[in-house]
Amino acid sequence: MKKLTMILISILLISPCFLSAAEPQEALISKAKAEGKVTYYANITAIEPVMEAFTKKYGVRGEYTRVSTDKFVATVATEHEAGKLMADVLQAPIPILDILKAKGVLASYKSPAASDYPKWTSKDEKIQIFGIEYIALIYNRELVKPMDVPKKYEDLTDPKWRGKIVMANPTTHATTISWLVGLKELVFSTEDAWMKFVTGLAANKPMFVSSFGPTPAPIESGEKLIGISMPKYILTKAPAPLDWARVEQPLLGTPRGMSITTKAPHPNAARLFFDYWLSKESAKILAEKVGEYVLSSGVFPPINGIDKARVQPIRELSDDEIRHWAAEFKKIF
Amino acid sequence: MSRSLSIYGTRRALTPILIVMVGFLTICPVAMLLLGSFSEGLGAFGTFTLEKYIKSYTDPELIDIIVNTLVFIVGSALVATSLALFLAYLNTRSNIPFKFLFQIISIVPMMIPHILFAVSWALLLNPSNGLINLLLKQMFNLEHSPFNIYSLPGMILVEGLLDLPVAYLIIAPAMASFDISLEESSKVCGSSNLRTLRKITLPILRPAILASITLVAIRSLESFAVPSALGMPGRVYLLSTHIYRIIATGFSADYGKAAAVGMSALAASITLIVLYRHLTSEREKYVTISSRGYRPALIDLHGWKVPLFIIVALLCFTLIVLPVLVLLYTSFVPYSMVPSFKAFGMMSLKHWLSILKDPVSLLSLKNSLFLGIVGATLGVILTFFVSYTIVKVRTPASGILESLSFLSFSFPGIVIGVGFMWFFVRTPLYATLGSLLIGYIATYLPYGIRPLTSAFVQIHRDLEESSRVCGGGMFYTLRRIVVPLLIPGIVSAWILMASMFVRELSVSVVLSRPGNEVLAVQILRFAEDGLWGKLSALGILMILASTTLVVLASIVGTRLTKLRGEREGV
Repeated sequence: MKKLTMILISILLISPCFLSAAEPQEALISKAKAEGKVTYYANITAIEPVMEAFTKKYGVRGEYTRVSTDKFVATVATEHEAGKLMADVLQAPIPILDILKAKGVLASYKSPAASDYPKWTSKDEKIQIFGIEYIALIYNRELVKPMDVPKKYEDLTDPKWRGKIVMANPTTHATTISWLVGLKELVFSTEDAWMKFVTGLAANKPMFVSSFGPTPAPIESGEKLIGISMPKYILTKAPAPLDWARVEQPLLGTPRGMSITTKAPHPNAARLFFDYWLSKESAKILAEKVGEYVLSSGVFPPINGIDKARVQPIRELSDDEIRHWAAEFKKIF
Repeated sequence: MSRSLSIYGTRRALTPILIVMVGFLTICPVAMLLLGSFSEGLGAFGTFTLEKYIKSYTDPELIDIIVNTLVFIVGSALVATSLALFLAYLNTRSNIPFKFLFQIISIVPMMIPHILFAVSWALLLNPSNGLINLLLKQMFNLEHSPFNIYSLPGMILVEGLLDLPVAYLIIAPAMASFDISLEESSKVCGSSNLRTLRKITLPILRPAILASITLVAIRSLESFAVPSALGMPGRVYLLSTHIYRIIATGFSADYGKAAAVGMSALAASITLIVLYRHLTSEREKYVTISSRGYRPALIDLHGWKVPLFIIVALLCFTLIVLPVLVLLYTSFVPYSMVPSFKAFGMMSLKHWLSILKDPVSLLSLKNSLFLGIVGATLGVILTFFVSYTIVKVRTPASGILESLSFLSFSFPGIVIGVGFMWFFVRTPLYATLGSLLIGYIATYLPYGIRPLTSAFVQIHRDLEESSRVCGGGMFYTLRRIVVPLLIPGIVSAWILMASMFVRELSVSVVLSRPGNEVLAVQILRFAEDGLWGKLSALGILMILASTTLVVLASIVGTRLTKLRGEREGV
């Protein structure tokens, strides 16, 4: 206890040094204010609370355009090539940022706020990972008895789930494809065991929807009982009777990255926003209001048990790999 | 002499001017897509390659997809057109009671966002716990659900219902301006009502019926909401969902390859249009309003009155009341629930309050209303002249004009938006409300042209020529003779365009940016987060917005028609 007090006191004593180190921050703020606004193209949804908090805090308007995954590269590359890219900051799955990096869209920026994140999240100078689009088995807790809730992924192949599963289409949806491949590489011990799982899942005739967005509704209404979906819906769709299956294996998800653009119309506002997005304050809003799994240390979405879950990032799959697996899953499902 | 020369001159000049205007509007995005389909890489300007075509057209799945698509579009066109004929006939030609219902039936489904309409039907007819299925299972002690909405027949039903307004708004004006003397002659010769209908009425309506079938077929060819919300769960893929799969698999969406597949949809549409032109080429045959007085007479239904009315009421219930009730219900319950005491106990205004407090939702409502009113007005003005040229200035060039007007409309919706983006990014209009306005009008020209041409076809040249003989110039003739006779067609065109623009998604989703958000894009955002409650609340606001526009248009239309009647009476 004494030790803790000492640490706290020393932190308090050192903090003025941080303040002086942050002085250039003041200059950044005033330059950002002069620029007036920051434009953010993001694939993540429902982040208005963060944009509002940013605008309120710095007096720099945060504008957010939601660009869906399938239009991201087309939109950003088209604008960039025409010299009309309006975005200062981009947020997308890593493979998309990689494609854009190759096209010269991304600028290097090392945010001081990134020091609060695990080392592996600074993929390179141009891309910073801040969260994981985490996936779990989401079920209707009013209709599924506690003893029936899957304890491992394999339980989903039990014939009792036949016709009762909903999932995003594994022959198109990149994140679901990555998740299935991630299970092979990170969870199942042998390829045979994994294949048995995939064919067993297919044999249960899951209902396909186009993406994660439409997965929770059929579970809530009882049209289906369980789905491969995102735990964040437990929060955003409360009081719907949703819960996540605490499987003994880790939860997997694809990393969410962000970057500043080379020709950002508001370069200072871009940096200010980037730093803010990585700050604890913003990470907390993302976790608490949006249900996101963020990598800022010690911040978790207020979903029962998530702070204890092991959440692992899936290796990024190239487009060729995604298409290869999409074709394979077409044969299986 | 000089005067008639100048009239001739204006009429001649009209065609090339319109070809340039319409061509500019519709060719630009399609040309960009054509370039993209032959380019390596992901943009519109790359090294020439045929690979995208070779890859897309050697896909072994394509055959099944094409067969499914054909069944779907033919089915939807037949469902929508026969329903429209039935309703339009009863409404304009019979003494069936409560005629205002028809106006509602024919228009409301058009204002419901298609994705919501499809989802409502899934709630009613899904095989697991669809409400109607549950009810029937209980009533008849069935083991399995009798209906499965996630199937080709289910999709045809829903798409047919959704496209019913398009069909109705083309057929009703033609039915309304029908020369009664033809039917009377038939009856005088001893034919029954049914035989007259079959032998006289339907053949005379052939251009309108064909126009409706063509338009609905093209419309359903590029429809995405129904194939994705109902086809994908049932694993029934159509051309539009196949294109979606090409775009959505992986991260670097190849719109060039999608455009390559889309070219076959375009080819199919152009074939349909050529076929339609061929079938209606002897236009004089269909002229029914000549300079003689006309006024459609009402047929007494006698004993059929009640049963027919019950059918209409049932249609009205399933088409409008049920989906709108589902929407209203969804907007009050906290999450997706099957109706129960518990669900009713949990109802609240939560979703409504959050929508009404959301500045972006309110801005999108304002923008969509603006685009609906201004877009439809400009659209009707342009398509009025285009239709006039197509029907009345019969030069070979007017055929080109007609085909041009369909270009961007026949391209699958999920791809055409990108074509517009590739084009607009090279102009100062990019990411403005103006680009949306132009994109909307360019894509939905047929919504103005089809009802207007099928109305123009029925006006005899004698009328115009008499006016001109009496010294009326072209614009004078248009204003005094042609326009007043066309009011029902003009109102139909305006309504079709305005309610389409209020819920437009394909073009908007690519061109909408902060400040010019529109309703459908905001609704899509909610859909992507699975927030059906907010989505339904905003959907209802959207229906209200379009209803207001439609009611206003109908009132203006009725007033003008009455005015004309009074003038004629004098």
